[in-house]
Amino acid sequence: MKRKYEIGFLLNPESSDEEVKKIMDSVIGIIENAKGIVENIDEWGRRKLAYPIQKHNEGIYTFINTEVEGKAMAEVERRLKLSERVIRFIVFRLDDKLKKANRLTKKWHKSEKIAKKTKEVIEKTDSDEKFLDKKGDENEEI
Amino acid sequence: MKKYKDSTDSKQNKKYYFNKKKYCLFCKDKVKLIDYKNYRILQKFTLETGKIMPGRVSGVCGYHQKQLTKAIKRARHMAFLKFVESKRD
Repeated sequence: MKRKYEIGFLLNPESSDEEVKKIMDSVIGIIENAKGIVENIDEWGRRKLAYPIQKHNEGIYTFINTEVEGKAMAEVERRLKLSERVIRFIVFRLDDKLKKANRLTKKWHKSEKIAKKTKEVIEKTDSDEKFLDKKGDENEEI
Repeated sequence: MKKYKDSTDSKQNKKYYFNKKKYCLFCKDKVKLIDYKNYRILQKFTLETGKIMPGRVSGVCGYHQKQLTKAIKRARHMAFLKFVESKRD
């Protein structure tokens, strides 16, 4: 069963562009071997860290969104753990929360519809009252 | 004048709090899922010491508070946010 996952990893700032590409390709290779889909790749590049990790003040960030089976994800985790250039990494599932979120959006749509209806009713009554007032004024003038 | 003075006297005796009504900022913007990568938004929901702000203080609803705490913890792990912020800096 395919599921949506998000991967993020932090690389050593001393690693060259080729090394960054190597790790990226290895992760994407595992996913594509398991007939998964790479949905999005975010390369943030060099950034300052909030606190020093292994005496590094900078790091290279990359994020990947995928849709694969769980077995492939376990291998990705293992690969990231073993590689020396990776300082930190994070892997988690996304789709279990999407269901709940979709339920919420339905609620929002409902509340929006109710708000729209109430607005229409208020506007209608306002316009009717204005119309009546005008008529009344005209009658008085005559 | 007398009326005005009386009214102020009664107010001084009681404790009055002129707080605005709190509401969930994420519900207002209709945020589906809170991403741990936009850490600047997460930073607003942390205290000066780096602790996570409780929901009763910030007014965030239960659904979003649950996600927010997880997002902040992930952001800390990936070095977007500090675990503890010292006042010496």
